[in-house]
Amino acid sequence: MATVWRSQCAFARLLIGKIAQNPNNSPDLCTKLFQGPISVTSRNYSNYANSPFIERIKEQYEYDIIKNPPEWAYVERLLPFDTIPVVTPKENYPSGWIPPREEAVHLPYFVSRTKNHELPIYLNITYRGMRKITKIKKIEGDIWLLNDTLKAHLKETAGKYVETRVHELGKFIEVKGDYVNVIRNWAHSKGF
Amino acid sequence: MTSVLINAFKRLNLSIRPQVKVISSSYSTAVTTANSLNVTQKEWKYPPLYTKPREVWIENLDTVEEKKLGLFELHPSVYAAMPRIDIIHRNFVWQTKYRWVSWAHTKTRAEVRGGGRKPWPQKGLGRARHGSIRSPLWRGGGVAHGPRSGKTHFFMLPFHLRIHGLTSMLSAKLAQDDLHVVNNLELPTDESNYLADLIENRNWGPSVLIIDDTDIAPRNITVATDSLPHVNIMPVYGLNVYSMLKHDTLVLTLAAAERIEERILHHLNAITTEQQREFKLSQV
Repeated sequence: MATVWRSQCAFARLLIGKIAQNPNNSPDLCTKLFQGPISVTSRNYSNYANSPFIERIKEQYEYDIIKNPPEWAYVERLLPFDTIPVVTPKENYPSGWIPPREEAVHLPYFVSRTKNHELPIYLNITYRGMRKITKIKKIEGDIWLLNDTLKAHLKETAGKYVETRVHELGKFIEVKGDYVNVIRNWAHSKGF
Repeated sequence: MTSVLINAFKRLNLSIRPQVKVISSSYSTAVTTANSLNVTQKEWKYPPLYTKPREVWIENLDTVEEKKLGLFELHPSVYAAMPRIDIIHRNFVWQTKYRWVSWAHTKTRAEVRGGGRKPWPQKGLGRARHGSIRSPLWRGGGVAHGPRSGKTHFFMLPFHLRIHGLTSMLSAKLAQDDLHVVNNLELPTDESNYLADLIENRNWGPSVLIIDDTDIAPRNITVATDSLPHVNIMPVYGLNVYSMLKHDTLVLTLAAAERIEERILHHLNAITTEQQREFKLSQV
């Protein structure tokens, strides 16, 4: 620590010289040494013997320590959340986010929201945009029934047969093609 | 044994409907007499939406015969996750590799003794060109690209794979009926025979891992397990996939089960950018 302080002193003297009046309680930049006019002759502060000793900085403000002040609430407001908060129920959400509905729990299959309360439906683009795979994750319950329902729905909406792939252990379904919006609307209609 | 169990179930089925008392998070008082049963229903911070909570019996350790002290609910996100064997295996590989330093060592051509002189002239003998008898081509020569000692195999598994490994392993244990919840670790004696009998009686298999909330276990169980190499005690913060794989049965205390649940649920629902950062060797 001592070396750092000493080099700071030398640096400070070069840069600010007399102008620095140490406005706050900042580390005392060796102002004691430069009370008078700056001497032209240099002093070698890289030398251990010549460098000043570190002294305790005098406190410039009076303060006392209190526990649980009323202002602490404002500090807490600024602290990051410990965990992602639960959504407060509203009539409508200006962002267009749609909350999950209660009755979805009674279906034989279920798509749970992510921890950020979003639907786990993603588009994976590979082979330089040649292959687009829509992936529905976090499927609980009867995944094969969900696959059949979804396939039928996609055939109806897209007007053609749509290939899907079920990964039961990974709890996801992959749909060949970009059907993110179709599937998202379908999931919202189911209440997920 | 089986008939006793069947009888117990019959009695329970008869009496469970009228006499179930729902207690909210005061499991410590859950004590059964012959015909009454207390079910602990828990208030989770993140209640399960679709999958039902798993119920386990609260058992005792103070008698050799098993007594069921009540029912306890476990969160399905932690104890009923999909048992991903691939993730468990990745955890296993990680745990074996991060502590492995390979000390295999070979000498290069520079380190093998001798070989400084050209064995024969470059030209005129009709023989192959050679500059040293310790070249890797020679018998007794140095090894090219051989193992050099002090090679670490340390790496960090991604954070969520570690979390998912724990949930997979706990769920697999629970699904295979290898996870038991006990009320506390108080034993009546400090003899290891008692614990061995208890494990034999309850069919807990060849090895048992006991997890407690605190890292100071009661004296009796520490003395009893001291001479039993196949029974180990571990605090909650030491719980890992490797040990759970290694031991046949996992015994959690109530407090430990709740603590594991709370920590894993927290990480499943928290912002984990800090934990997902690239691991730096200087960060600890």
